[in-house]
Amino acid sequence: MRVRKSLSAVAVALVAALAATGCGGDGSGDSGKATVTMWTYPVIFEEAKHRAHWDETIKAFQAANPNIEVKVEIFPWANRDQALATAIAGNKGPDAVYLIPDQLPKYARNIEPIDKYLDDAAKSDYHENVVQSVSIDGKMMGAPILTSAATPICNKKVFAAVGETTYPTSWNDLLTLAPKFKAKGFDMTAYAGDAKQTLNQTFYPLLWQAGGDVFSPDGKSVAFNSDAGRKALNFAKQLVDNGYVDKTLLTAAPPIEQTRIAQNKVACVWHVPLTEVEKFWGKENIQVVPHFTETKQIGYGTVGSLSMLKTAKDKEAAGKWIAFATNADNTKKYDVASSFFSPRKSTGALYASDPVLGEQEKQVASSTVGPLHEKARDVQGVLAPEIQAALLGKKSVEQALDDAAKAAAPLLG
Amino acid sequence: MVALPGRPARRLRRPSAREAGTALLFVLPFLLLFAVFRFGPAIAGVILGFTDYTIGGETGWIGLENFRRLVDDPTFWSALRVTVIFTVLSVPLSMLASLGMALLTRRAFRGAKLFRSIFFLPVVTSLVLAGVIFSWVFSEGGPWSRAMGALGLPAQSWLADSVLVIPALVLVSVWSRFGYGMLILLARLQDIPAELEEAALTDGASAWQRFRYVTLPQLRPALFFVAIIETTVSFQVFDMIYVMTGGGPVRASYSLVYLLYDQGFKYFDLGYASAVGVALFVMTIVVALIQRLTLGREE
Repeated sequence: MRVRKSLSAVAVALVAALAATGCGGDGSGDSGKATVTMWTYPVIFEEAKHRAHWDETIKAFQAANPNIEVKVEIFPWANRDQALATAIAGNKGPDAVYLIPDQLPKYARNIEPIDKYLDDAAKSDYHENVVQSVSIDGKMMGAPILTSAATPICNKKVFAAVGETTYPTSWNDLLTLAPKFKAKGFDMTAYAGDAKQTLNQTFYPLLWQAGGDVFSPDGKSVAFNSDAGRKALNFAKQLVDNGYVDKTLLTAAPPIEQTRIAQNKVACVWHVPLTEVEKFWGKENIQVVPHFTETKQIGYGTVGSLSMLKTAKDKEAAGKWIAFATNADNTKKYDVASSFFSPRKSTGALYASDPVLGEQEKQVASSTVGPLHEKARDVQGVLAPEIQAALLGKKSVEQALDDAAKAAAPLLG
Repeated sequence: MVALPGRPARRLRRPSAREAGTALLFVLPFLLLFAVFRFGPAIAGVILGFTDYTIGGETGWIGLENFRRLVDDPTFWSALRVTVIFTVLSVPLSMLASLGMALLTRRAFRGAKLFRSIFFLPVVTSLVLAGVIFSWVFSEGGPWSRAMGALGLPAQSWLADSVLVIPALVLVSVWSRFGYGMLILLARLQDIPAELEEAALTDGASAWQRFRYVTLPQLRPALFFVAIIETTVSFQVFDMIYVMTGGGPVRASYSLVYLLYDQGFKYFDLGYASAVGVALFVMTIVVALIQRLTLGREE
């Protein structure tokens, strides 16, 4: 009898616990307010500064919208897709989230297009290439809040040590200067060949500069095994074979402090953010150069945007928040605090008087975010090891690119 | 899970229904948790393997399509090869290290407990942390390559070589795992009646003969247990590869779980990732059965 009573008590407790856990939020706060939850990441490196920006923005928003409560949660960059994907799968995703174009195709089915929540003036204030960078099937998948340009950056200290005053602006310049740097014990540049590195910042800029692209115009096949692709990979291989780059980085991605880049032994890099090298080179030793030119002058840059998920509990409230957080004033504040650039025309140049950021800002127009293709990441997954194989001399350039194209074909149907 | 046999069990009294009910009540929370968080997801994972489930998309039943894709996917076969080679190298080495250390620390001597604790430390050390440290150890110019150079061998980074990368990972795996096996074997060793060895000694058996004909047969069930655990862990190798090599160079260390992770969390193809998981599960079961038939057979 006692056992039966105990069992009943356990069952009641379990039901109560399950009921309690089932009583999650429904988008309304305890006082009938709509609640908007946003996930973002350390775009502003200093956490306190980042937190302060969003606290201030939320305060201003709530003053105008007292019935909408906003919660901004800042998560680490690491494994952000894993956390977001599992949250979406479990129907526990946020209402709004910070995404970059590389992520948009994979989440497209979960994203509520933002067009109708932004007024015409706001939409027309964006640079045309910025709108294209966040649009899939003609719909904006997020409201842009920042842009970047991953331009090559050179170390003035290294150039001074070599006695060189001209900075490279093309592949030819790099190859011409490289022997002089090598003779003095410096690497002309660095190539990050580790498979965990995104090709958007390593091989693709070379591919674009050679006049090539990752996918064919209709997106139904890959196009990297073209003359331009072979030219780009041959150039990278030339850098490796001639000893102009540190071979360690072809197979590993050590923390930057353990690399020759941090030891001031590398002349120019294009895959490392300016904020990373600044700690080791000093801002005064950074020389920003335009994206390299071969056939075209182009490089990688990203567009950060705030997207609304389809599962947002109150879409009107989430739309209002995103429109407010990305308006020209807030965008400008956010970009200046994070050292990024503005996606809007009305804000003008943010760093006109800054010799480093000002130069990078000029390159935003010649930057591209990479392919907005649903299988872009999958294709990177098959291409990266083949590039590594070519650079390590395990395959010819032609064989590596053809093998990658063959492996990519089934992915594209 | 395999039960670790100890001394011959005493004949137990059959519990009454009331006692059984009380016992069930105590284990019920665990059973519920196990069903909800272990068994449930495992079943769901198997079911997902037969669907085209992707995050947020419509999910449809596609039968064996994911498994057909697996068969045609060269990356799967390459990952399978890497996983099998890793397992074939790491399980025997780990067991040998466990057995050796268990035999060394079996006797009571001054500092024995300290040694056992030290040997067990790697088991409780984060593999991610260990991975970062060993990445440096095996890097070009790191202690390992210098040691190789001092021995007249090529002073290169083992992690950057497509042949040497697996042996490097196996060494780290053995380092991180042998303490666990050592503990299991040590428990069993200390359970072997001293009279058996004494009798063998009286009969004039040498140290090797005592080990071969007395200790080893007594250890067989524990060795079987360790073999099963080590095989399962080796088949699931991922975290240290993720940290140390990223699956490279040129996919030379790209394991099945790495493939599963990429498909699931990088490409969001969760149906296909689940199919990889099912293949891994079936493989583990088959190998465990083979081990059961060989190492784990009853005397």
